[in-house]
Amino acid sequence: MEENKNEKPTEEKRKRFGFNYNKHYKILFFIPILVLLLSLVYLGIFYSKNGDIIYKDVSLSGGTSITINGEIDQGLLEAPLKEKFPDVSFTSLTDITTGKQVGLQIKSSAASAELKIAIENILGYGLKEGENSSTESQGASLSKDFYNQLIIALVISFVLMSVVIFVMFRTFIPSAAVIFAVFADIVMPLALINILGIKLSAAGIAAFLMLVGYSVDTDILLTSRALKTKDEPLNARIFKAFKTGSFMTLTALAAVLPAFFIVTGLPDSFRQIFLILSFGLFADLVNTWMTNAGIIKWYCDKKGIQ
Amino acid sequence: MKIGLRAWILIIVLFLALLAIAPWKTFEEGVLIKSVEANSSAFESGLRQGQIISSIDGQKVSSFEDFSTIISQKNYSGENIKTTVLTNQGEFILFSGKTPEITVSEIPNSNIKTGLDLSGGSRALVKAQDRELSSSEMNDLKYIIANRLDVYGISNVQISSISDLSGKNFLSVEIPGATPGDLKDLISSQGKFEAKIGDEIVFIGGERDVESVSQGGQDAVVSCPPNQGGSGGYFCQFRFGIYLSPEAAQRHADITKNLDVNLTNPDYLSETLDLYLDDKLVSSLLIGVSLKGRAETQISIEGPGTGSTLDEAGKSAQQEMKKLQTILKTGSLPYKLEIVKLDTISPSLGESFTKNIILLGLIVFIIISVILFVKYRKIKITLAVIMTMFSEAFITLGVAALISWNLDAPSIAGIIAGLGTGVNDQIVIIDESVSNKGISLRERIKRALFIIFGAFFTIVAAMLPLFWAGAGMLRGFAITTIIGVTAGVLITRPAFAELIRKMGE
Repeated sequence: MEENKNEKPTEEKRKRFGFNYNKHYKILFFIPILVLLLSLVYLGIFYSKNGDIIYKDVSLSGGTSITINGEIDQGLLEAPLKEKFPDVSFTSLTDITTGKQVGLQIKSSAASAELKIAIENILGYGLKEGENSSTESQGASLSKDFYNQLIIALVISFVLMSVVIFVMFRTFIPSAAVIFAVFADIVMPLALINILGIKLSAAGIAAFLMLVGYSVDTDILLTSRALKTKDEPLNARIFKAFKTGSFMTLTALAAVLPAFFIVTGLPDSFRQIFLILSFGLFADLVNTWMTNAGIIKWYCDKKGIQ
Repeated sequence: MKIGLRAWILIIVLFLALLAIAPWKTFEEGVLIKSVEANSSAFESGLRQGQIISSIDGQKVSSFEDFSTIISQKNYSGENIKTTVLTNQGEFILFSGKTPEITVSEIPNSNIKTGLDLSGGSRALVKAQDRELSSSEMNDLKYIIANRLDVYGISNVQISSISDLSGKNFLSVEIPGATPGDLKDLISSQGKFEAKIGDEIVFIGGERDVESVSQGGQDAVVSCPPNQGGSGGYFCQFRFGIYLSPEAAQRHADITKNLDVNLTNPDYLSETLDLYLDDKLVSSLLIGVSLKGRAETQISIEGPGTGSTLDEAGKSAQQEMKKLQTILKTGSLPYKLEIVKLDTISPSLGESFTKNIILLGLIVFIIISVILFVKYRKIKITLAVIMTMFSEAFITLGVAALISWNLDAPSIAGIIAGLGTGVNDQIVIIDESVSNKGISLRERIKRALFIIFGAFFTIVAAMLPLFWAGAGMLRGFAITTIIGVTAGVLITRPAFAELIRKMGE
């Protein structure tokens, strides 16, 4: 393989890295911890203000989402609807290949009949579900059930992941470090979507479950390279794991980021899933290679693992 | 290079996936029979659901348009005419004065089915009001609703009972394609029909009292009086006949026996026959004097329909009639139901979504390929990774087709996100195999597989709770992800590792 050609500079880089890393890894470790703490404080304040840890969309709080087919002028509907339904929100949907608007989605916590009539009155024509429009509506109590269950599912998912990690590594601190990194991978994107004011849907929470599984592979890579192999110095092992792992995260981002460019042409559930996954993957870069790596390095130093 | 055992397994599985997806269906011509009305002349002639019609009276049918043009040209008007239908299961000859009682659709392009959010249709999530139903009660309900929709004329309905994390039971009713306007009523109205004289019940809806219901022809009509209009809107009337059981007819005789003649209108009796639907009065029918004390089995049911135009009023009367006919035939639901979630998606919106999602999938493939090539600078490795990625997506689609899973948007998101983890694992294999020259390649790949299996078990564990949470609405996301990663660790990754090992040696 062509590795030999690059042997020298890489070797040097590794040494330099090793030196710097020995010196600075604790600082690297505290940056994400600080971000995590700030995120947790922010979520705490958010909770005390809003009574919940997220803004929920109609799929979690109950209400109606009506999508009218065709080119619909949002400006025409916005003011009169806002007056009647203060929480109404709009999303324009487009066909990516032609760039033309194919529909306008209107969401509100109001009952479907009320919202429909209000829209019909402004548009001046009737909305026929399944023909010129689509309607999704859901009762408030069901939505509350859904929300609670998805949160329970997230907790179960996290616990199951933790069990798998403990079974794999069978040592407390390294396993706890992985689990801690995954926890941070959830908390940071959560704070970010709240800061951005994004309303989370059921699919969005499902994306958090996937994130639990999605973000853990780089942590497993790091931990197993650091603990299960002894053929190279520790720093070199961590650095190599970093090279592989960051590239892995990059390709995973390549799978989820393109969705942003055609965001207006995708179903709601799709948008949310890719949004959460990409936030989570960015957080994962930081939490694996700064937080988790820091703990592993410290653990190995303590245990005398070279 | 010799093809190893694991590569052979991959090739065989890919071939099976291809069989399951059956993409060659695109080239099949004709229309698919989606349903055939029971006991109709079409049914008696031998036409059945699932057959593919390729020609009618020698005229080629290659699309739905062809089918409807040919049928409308035939001009069925009551007199029996001959219709020759050629299907993939042979030729059938109908002699009937009515349009063949079948519904048809275009042949699907493949066995891959898309969910309602992409193909259009309605989905209702229903639960019993104020009580939890046991699973056997749930099954009864399933049967009654299916029967009701069938009588109403909606075929192809998928009804399934779902229980969620907290043990609550729901009934999910899915109807692909066009949506009936009064779906909500059809599913959730209890349909308790009572015909009363005074406080006494003469008959109720359902088989026990109602032996048959006229649903067409002279015995079921809508009429709109001419010269109406003005501020009060328009008004039409429906009327259809039913046949009561002897017991119900006897009850009618017993109750009317004691009634007096109406003093102001001496052609009729003093009390009316009041029709109640779910405790609401639908209409009151005058009872002719001649019917007094008679065990009359044939009864005419009437009721109104109103609207702001004559056309609307006619449609409303038609719809009301259909609803009553259905309820009289199928009886009431044993429990009060409520619709807790109702989604109705127009097919055209889904079409645009599907197009965009396919485009997105292609972009993801291209970007990942470019990144891999830039990193490894080896066309062989890049191609191997892309082939593996493609295989995983293809196997996932194959399994989805095999288990008839309807791919909704979250399911497809799961496939695309799964591509990301798939590539990750291959990167681990490549990097493990090119580094650490001190240890045997076999050992290095073993290490890679440790990481890969660890990641596999965590993602499966993480997605499992979605099977139950939120009444399984996001189950598809978990299903495709789990199929994808499982196909990955069991089939594609071993093949890929073998390939890399051969490249290394």
